[in-house]
Amino acid sequence: MLVEQELIEKARAGDTAAFNQVVLAYRKRILGTISRLIGKPEDVEDVGQEVFLRLYYSLDQLRTPEVFEPWLYRLTVNASYDYLRRAKRRGESRMADLSEQQVLMADSLAGGRQDNEDRQKSKVREFVDALFRHVSEEDRLLLTLKEVEGLSLKELEKIYRVNENALKVRLFRARQRVLKAYEAASADGKL
Amino acid sequence: MMSDDSRLDSLFQTYRASCPDIEPSSGFTPELWRRIEARRTFGFVFQRLARAAVTACAALCLLMLALNLVGGSHNDPSSYFDALVADHSAENTYYTEAIRSAPTNEEALPDFGHSR
Repeated sequence: MLVEQELIEKARAGDTAAFNQVVLAYRKRILGTISRLIGKPEDVEDVGQEVFLRLYYSLDQLRTPEVFEPWLYRLTVNASYDYLRRAKRRGESRMADLSEQQVLMADSLAGGRQDNEDRQKSKVREFVDALFRHVSEEDRLLLTLKEVEGLSLKELEKIYRVNENALKVRLFRARQRVLKAYEAASADGKL
Repeated sequence: MMSDDSRLDSLFQTYRASCPDIEPSSGFTPELWRRIEARRTFGFVFQRLARAAVTACAALCLLMLALNLVGGSHNDPSSYFDALVADHSAENTYYTEAIRSAPTNEEALPDFGHSR
């Protein structure tokens, strides 16, 4: 936990200063997670504010401060889902849906000069995002939380409120699909 | 040599490291509080409207109850069933009277020259 349980208790009791401290402690982590879940850097803050807004109005429903982090992650996943659903309705594409050339063009238009390292990082991101396109949006979020964010199965169980076995099956299937795409990409020499 | 499975694991780790840290802008927290306040204001207005609507409904119910009580004293005290029976017997009476008042064949039928 990034904050003391006492602070969570105070925030739950309606102490706005305590809530502010909780926001300050978690905002960077939550924004990072959201950016990996939605893939749209320009909308990350908006979704992040939505997460903390929902937290503010639902904090009184939190049973104990021990489950605060899974609770916050649950709100994050739900807000990201909602965002992705809205984006799908609007027919927007993620940055990952664009070709590498388009991404580079967008970058150069933005006036950014990437050095080699940044370019390499950008390629990795694009490649993994392309692999994730082989699974559903829901499975991509689940895989990201498990494999990239490093959440344990116990934590995921609390977030998704399903039993561990069901999660294992879902994760295994999603990972198999990604692995298949990865093998195909290796065979094509895209790595 | 690494298997594809472990290479995928290491790719995920590289991906994690390649994702930039998002630094919240200076306006993040003020904007968050503005949104919290906006929703609170909306909630407050909605709550007041809901309370007003409940009060209006209760007043209307009381008014209708009072009107029913006042209006009920002028009505026929008989039950609905009695009223229905009375209405039904009135219908029978009407038909009976209609049958009775119908002219007999001799009185009513016009003579079209058959008597000749």
